[in-house]
Amino acid sequence: MKTLFNRIRNSEFLTFNEVLRLKVVIVTAFLLLFVGLTIPISALLSFNLEFSINIIVPIFFIILLLFTIITVILNFNRVAMHFSIYTMIGLTIFHVGGANHLYGFILFFVSLTIIIFYQDIVTYIIYGGAVTLYGSVYAFNSGGELMGILSTSQDISVLTYQIMLIGFYSIFLIQFILSDHIYEKLNNEWVRMNKILEKYQDFSLQHLNEYTEKEKLTPIYKNNKFQQTISELAVFLNEFYEEDGEDIAELVEYYFFLHSQDLSLVLENEGASEEAKEFAQQLEKYFLNKRTELTSMLFDFSTLFIDQKADFKKDRYEYSIDELFSTKTNKMLALAILYKFLRTEVTQFDKWGNIGKILTHDEISELFVSKEFREFISFEQVNFYLDNQELFEKYL
Amino acid sequence: MPQFTKKYQYAQVEKYKEHLELQHLKLKTIIINLMVFFISFVVLYFLIRLDVPNNATIPIMLFFYTLVIINIIFYSYDGDQYNNLRIAMYINTMGLYLATIIIILQFQTPSVFTSLFIAYAITAIYQDYKAMLLSSGMLFFSGIALLTGYSDIFTLVGSSSPQEGFIIAFLVIFVLLLTLSSFILIKRKTFFYNQLAQIKESEVRNMKLLLAIERIKTKKELDSEGYYDSLMKFSSKLSEKLDIDNVFSEKIQLLKDSRKLSLPDLLGKYPSFTKDEIKEILELELETHERMKMIGIKASKSSDVVVDRKEMFSEAQFKSFKHEGDHHYIKIISFAVFYTMLKTDKPYFKSLKEEEIKDILYNSEYYYRIDKKIINLYLDNNEVFDTIVKDIMGGE
Repeated sequence: MKTLFNRIRNSEFLTFNEVLRLKVVIVTAFLLLFVGLTIPISALLSFNLEFSINIIVPIFFIILLLFTIITVILNFNRVAMHFSIYTMIGLTIFHVGGANHLYGFILFFVSLTIIIFYQDIVTYIIYGGAVTLYGSVYAFNSGGELMGILSTSQDISVLTYQIMLIGFYSIFLIQFILSDHIYEKLNNEWVRMNKILEKYQDFSLQHLNEYTEKEKLTPIYKNNKFQQTISELAVFLNEFYEEDGEDIAELVEYYFFLHSQDLSLVLENEGASEEAKEFAQQLEKYFLNKRTELTSMLFDFSTLFIDQKADFKKDRYEYSIDELFSTKTNKMLALAILYKFLRTEVTQFDKWGNIGKILTHDEISELFVSKEFREFISFEQVNFYLDNQELFEKYL
Repeated sequence: MPQFTKKYQYAQVEKYKEHLELQHLKLKTIIINLMVFFISFVVLYFLIRLDVPNNATIPIMLFFYTLVIINIIFYSYDGDQYNNLRIAMYINTMGLYLATIIIILQFQTPSVFTSLFIAYAITAIYQDYKAMLLSSGMLFFSGIALLTGYSDIFTLVGSSSPQEGFIIAFLVIFVLLLTLSSFILIKRKTFFYNQLAQIKESEVRNMKLLLAIERIKTKKELDSEGYYDSLMKFSSKLSEKLDIDNVFSEKIQLLKDSRKLSLPDLLGKYPSFTKDEIKEILELELETHERMKMIGIKASKSSDVVVDRKEMFSEAQFKSFKHEGDHHYIKIISFAVFYTMLKTDKPYFKSLKEEEIKDILYNSEYYYRIDKKIINLYLDNNEVFDTIVKDIMGGE
């Protein structure tokens, strides 16, 4: 129980699959409780079904729940999600046949709630739509039984039930669409930023590689003591999984060996075992000689110690010359400095993969007019540049 | 030992997160008010069809429009819009429940009782912790109050007793599941706001790191003198071409002087500029300020960044040492390499002490980037880790 609460509390750090698994577990627990409490009671209520069905039905729900539990254990979480929804819809269909119609009608809302709980738009449209449709038809067919003693008109009563159910479904559908839209926008920007960050880190790493070469230093991954340390640590950790440490020690050797190999050749090598190829692919993310997840995380880790005391200024993440400067002369000077920076500083990889290329005037002109560059300069500044580009080229 | 996952979060992130949230809060406020406006017409339709007298109809309608007007006022007021819209959010949440209760008491039918669920659905659009708790509480307590105080509302024509127990049970399930669902959704959304704000800050810091690593490699600073000389020539030719006085030269001279003079000295030497004007001009300086260098670096790396839709929702975008599908050997080796790298001196980042590493890994998001079993093994045995590294690496 404590683990479950902890997982809910830290759900933002879980993967999509882990969150889905968590949700299925919660819904299954709720359904078990619901089936356990309501099905035996239902046998005592006056259903329009034979008593024998009241024995078959619980068995049917128990089987459905068992399927859900087995699929969760097997980590087929999406399948489990569908089974749990079928169980709830089945329960709703079963209960709307009962004596209390209001109780049955509210179950449509409970079914929708469970489908909403999964936060999956396609599932919601299909299953939620079906439940809403069925609920509306049910309200229409059982209008008389669903009418309150204080209601004045059956038509109005039926219409109200239908509007409430459809309204509930529609509002949550809008919420789903809005939430998806926001999520997609955030995600898009985040992935784009991640890629830009990786570019900076590509350059940082290349600078370090060139520095190591220039200073005739030994790269860390070629250092024997470093390799031995990794091996010892890996064997130590592996002792908590299995007794034999030989395999992991061998894999550590293989990891360092791969640093000096062309990975594509290793993967194409017909003589290499499938297992070796699979390990090579999995290890690639953590190489030290190129920009990988590991090197990125190391750079990110070190940035924790940069600018620690910097205050947040509103324009801290602003890169538009137009927004940063208020006067035309300042904007023009900023544009000229930007041009000069791109024209004189080594900011690009050359054809050998070293950092050794500066941008040409034509390349800068192409950049200035590109859509991506609106983040830095406005249309007005581009026009100013285009009108005076011969001066930019000659004097900057 | 209690865990503080925000201990190592960038301090600048919170302000930017607020800025991001405000953009979405504005959109949600508009959508919710449109819904309230639409619902007011649906309610009016029923009031007219049921021949409700004007003295009952007008207050209900006025209530809806007062809510909308309050929102418009909060939306239009410019100062601290973020907090204004949050106040509007709480007013809307309470107002919607109040309106719903008034309507339920006006009609007193079981069908109208379900309008409480509609109020919940509308307020769920905000996706905010406090609004969610307020809404859940109001739904639950107003539901219970209506069930206990006005049980006639729930009595159906063909049924002798209203079975309040079932309806209370449904209310509990409804509130629990939807609150849990919203909680997980809000946590994940907040996580993305966090990630996005963090990556903006991370970008600034990675650019600073790149500049620092470049300086380590080249062992030289940017030639600002060369920049100002070129700017002087360029601005003089530009002024000639445009047939205007050289309005740039004084500012360029100020930039040159700023490397030697303090702000009060600059104010004395350039009396035609105010303090704020000088501060803005100084943003163009290349030795004492980093703004223009940052724009230059970002601008030089911003082309050819394409985001594929497939990448947007891929788990692979999250850099970690616990990728699903990776063998546990890989998770162990990658962590061992990362840990040892943190304990090794690098040109751009000195080695960290064992206590520092343990504290950061435990109290930051890195805790969640490492396989749960492995990080716990490390935390329980960090002294062994430390000894292994010290024994083999020694002083390296």
